[in-house]
Amino acid sequence: MNEKADVRQGTLALMVLKTLQSLGPLHGYGIARRIEQTSGDRLSLNYGTVYPALLKLEQEGFIASEWGVSENNRQAKYYRLTRAGRGHLKKQERAWEETAAIMSRFLKPGEQAS
Amino acid sequence: MTRLRAALVRLAGGFGRMRREREWAAEFESHLQMHIDDNLRAGMSAEEARREALVKFGGVESVKESMRDRATFLWFDTTWQDIRYALRSLRRSSGFAITAILSLALGLGASLAVFTVADNLLVRPLPYRNASQLVMISEANPQRGFRHNDVSPGNFFDWKAQNDVFSGMAGLRESRSVLMDGDRAEEFGKQSVTADFFPLLGVQPVRGRLFTAEEDRSAASTDTLLLISYRLWQSWFGGDDNVIGRKVQVNAVPRTVIGVLPPGFYFLNREIDLWEPVGLNPAEDYRKTQGRWMTCVARMRPRATVGQSQAHMTALAARLETAHPEFNKNWTVEIEPLRDSMLRDRSVGADSAPVKTSLLVLLAAVGLMLAVACANVANLLLARYSSRRREIAVRASLGAGRGRVIRQLLTESLLLGLAGGICGVTLARWAVTGLLLLAPTNLTQSANIHVDSRIFVFAVGLSMLTGILFGIAPALVTSRSNLVDALRGDSRSSLGAGGHLRAWLVGAEIASSVVLLAGAMLLFRSLVGYQALNPGLDPSNVLTFRVSLPAARYEKIPQRTQFFASAIEQIEHLPGVRSASAVMYPPFSGPGFGTWVNIAGRPPAKPGEEILALIRTVMPGYFRTLRIPLKQGRDFTASDNLETSPYRFIVNQAFVRQVLRDEQALGKKINTLMETENPFGEIIGVVGDLREWSIDHEPIPTVYYSYAHLNFTSMIFLVRAERNPLSLSEPARRIIRGLDPAQPVAEIRTMEGILGENFSRQRLSAWLLSGFSIVALVLAGVGIYGVLAYSVTARTREFGVRAALGADSGRIIALVLKTGARPVIGGLVAGVAGALALAGLLKSLLFGIGPRDPLTFIAVPCLLAAVALIAAYLPARRAAHLEPMEALRTE
Repeated sequence: MNEKADVRQGTLALMVLKTLQSLGPLHGYGIARRIEQTSGDRLSLNYGTVYPALLKLEQEGFIASEWGVSENNRQAKYYRLTRAGRGHLKKQERAWEETAAIMSRFLKPGEQAS
Repeated sequence: MTRLRAALVRLAGGFGRMRREREWAAEFESHLQMHIDDNLRAGMSAEEARREALVKFGGVESVKESMRDRATFLWFDTTWQDIRYALRSLRRSSGFAITAILSLALGLGASLAVFTVADNLLVRPLPYRNASQLVMISEANPQRGFRHNDVSPGNFFDWKAQNDVFSGMAGLRESRSVLMDGDRAEEFGKQSVTADFFPLLGVQPVRGRLFTAEEDRSAASTDTLLLISYRLWQSWFGGDDNVIGRKVQVNAVPRTVIGVLPPGFYFLNREIDLWEPVGLNPAEDYRKTQGRWMTCVARMRPRATVGQSQAHMTALAARLETAHPEFNKNWTVEIEPLRDSMLRDRSVGADSAPVKTSLLVLLAAVGLMLAVACANVANLLLARYSSRRREIAVRASLGAGRGRVIRQLLTESLLLGLAGGICGVTLARWAVTGLLLLAPTNLTQSANIHVDSRIFVFAVGLSMLTGILFGIAPALVTSRSNLVDALRGDSRSSLGAGGHLRAWLVGAEIASSVVLLAGAMLLFRSLVGYQALNPGLDPSNVLTFRVSLPAARYEKIPQRTQFFASAIEQIEHLPGVRSASAVMYPPFSGPGFGTWVNIAGRPPAKPGEEILALIRTVMPGYFRTLRIPLKQGRDFTASDNLETSPYRFIVNQAFVRQVLRDEQALGKKINTLMETENPFGEIIGVVGDLREWSIDHEPIPTVYYSYAHLNFTSMIFLVRAERNPLSLSEPARRIIRGLDPAQPVAEIRTMEGILGENFSRQRLSAWLLSGFSIVALVLAGVGIYGVLAYSVTARTREFGVRAALGADSGRIIALVLKTGARPVIGGLVAGVAGALALAGLLKSLLFGIGPRDPLTFIAVPCLLAAVALIAAYLPARRAAHLEPMEALRTE
């Protein structure tokens, strides 16, 4: 099966936050690229969809933005994590790991029996 | 928190939309450029690089759209669109809009006006420190039916010394006095108060000082201090600071102004400009020398309740009754919160129904009327939405969600509510002015009533609430309807939930109208009863005015008698004057004087069983001038009106009936405990009864004195004119000036005006309730018409079929009327039941009829049924006159 998966609801925001945590301040294009690469090109992502997610995170106060200059001398809007964003990311990561662990136990019942 | 923050940012996002859009465009452009740069580096052609970047981005416009959704609340952008749409559609159906707005404006205007008055009188805090602790203390004699009698100074000082529920107690008395400063002279209201009166209320003078307890004690002998109102300070003394220490005269006695009270200060009566020490000495026992004449106000200790204070004072009064049986037998104490006391209507008599009852009845009535108005608007909205089902269905099929449709409909009803609210406030301003003209003046003189910003906010809130509440039901009903049916324009299914709701609304309107009409009719019949009642005198064409002689300049009684006698004689010679006289206080004008009476030859009454009679002192010609019929004997003459002439009395028929038990009155000797010396005197005449204070009781026994034997410095002149009594006021004033240039004339009124004041409370309630019920009646009629007219339109095809099959117009009319009959009959039954249950509340306002007056409860449902029939007949006739072919072809 080589079909690409759609981005699951709610996971995009987490990916954006994680990207900003590991790469530091970055513009929308960079974030979209990075998410696609990290997924090993297994996600089908319209780059445009990161912008509504960025707007939402900014409204919630988890990220902040300002205009800057890119490595290729282009004007770009850079996003960075705020302190609240870092806290939120930590919480979300833990919640996600837990969910993933539970889900995987459900999906592999053989292991559970042993 | 996160959510709140996001919401605030989004709300703020409603502004600066242009800037936001430009920034997004720039950000996307830079995104695409960076992507293109990368693609070019990867070896694509310029065109391919651009295309790939755009594809990968995934539709700039759709991204922007979903960002717009996020950037601001959707409603923020679309609300304006909704408003414009609503305005357009309201303008298209202006008849509907005007009816709805008018309904709301009437309902809101009336309720706001009544609310304003009630708020001022019932709710707004009184202008004294911790006013809820203030109570009025009265003496009460349940045996004689006195609940709020004046207080004896002797008892007052004992209460003050012996109670432990009050932190303070003060006494006062009201009178009118002539103030003289140089050659200016004018009559003003005056309160004589104990020294702790102002501290008790927590009032400080703006200039000068108050007087001390010591100065109060000695005031009887020295009599020199005076406090004036801010208003008088400004108008008479031009706000001059030198007014402190100024020498003036009050009733020709020298006084020194020591203080000015703060602007707007009043206690019980706004028409007071002078305050002086009452001059009582706590060491004296006034029970031996004086009667009950003081008003008493007290402050309860913090956290004390009226009930506790009452219980304590009742016990104290019982002790005083035992200690002074000759004075206090059967007397106890009544405590009343200050506000309740201010709401009692003093002009009709001390124990009349409180104004509070009238106000609460009016509030309830206005609430009902508002309910009818709202039901009517809801009804109209329902009818309107039902006829717009197809339009709504089109909008829905073009992709409008249910929420969006409801919002659109709500916007419309909110707009209606707002417009109705604004019209209502305007209406309320006029209505308050009108209300105050009708209201009893003694009620409004202690309140300063106007529509303020609080009321405005209340009104706008109320109208918005009306809009939402009565818009939401129709909107829900309408938006739920079946899309396909609606698109097909299938009217057979359109009498569903909306139709039932509307029938209920009409039923409720009818029921409320019945209650209102029944109340109005009961009050009106009482008013007619009052006014048809023979007052016992002829009030037409009688001028009255007050002249208060300064006792210091008219020290001797013959001087006073001489003054009044010559004034009356000169006035009687004026052209257009039939006769003139004077009396110590005119009938129907407020509380009177009463005292014990003894009859020669009968043993003195035991304490508590004394005979009480009303006392009135008159100049000769009094009965002729007021046309009070002389039943036996003769009137006083000038020769009875001399200090040296023997005591003679005239009594009324009630006196003969109740006191003399119908024995021969003429020649019988009586005396009254009015002065220190009370010689017995012969009864020389019997006159007819007046129905004052006794509208619904027996008339009160009355004893008339001749002026020379019981004289007062202040008398009310009565002048019977041939016509237009007020035109005589200037000539009369000239005569008084001619006798004494420094003598002012005050309180120029007509006897009819005085009598009218007595009924003003009843008149106010009756007129207002009638107004409300007429509005409710009209609204209910519009409601019935609306329901049936709509149902006829919806059933056009059915009627067409019936007509084609041979139904004649009579049958079709009957069919339509039957549709309307159910809510009407249901509403009538519910309304009559409700009115019967509520009429008990009106009991204290009724006169001559019971709260279950049969005529009212027959006439009101008949009247409503008639209105309903007319309202139903119009659409019925339209149905009957439908052309069958036309009707079948519709749709």
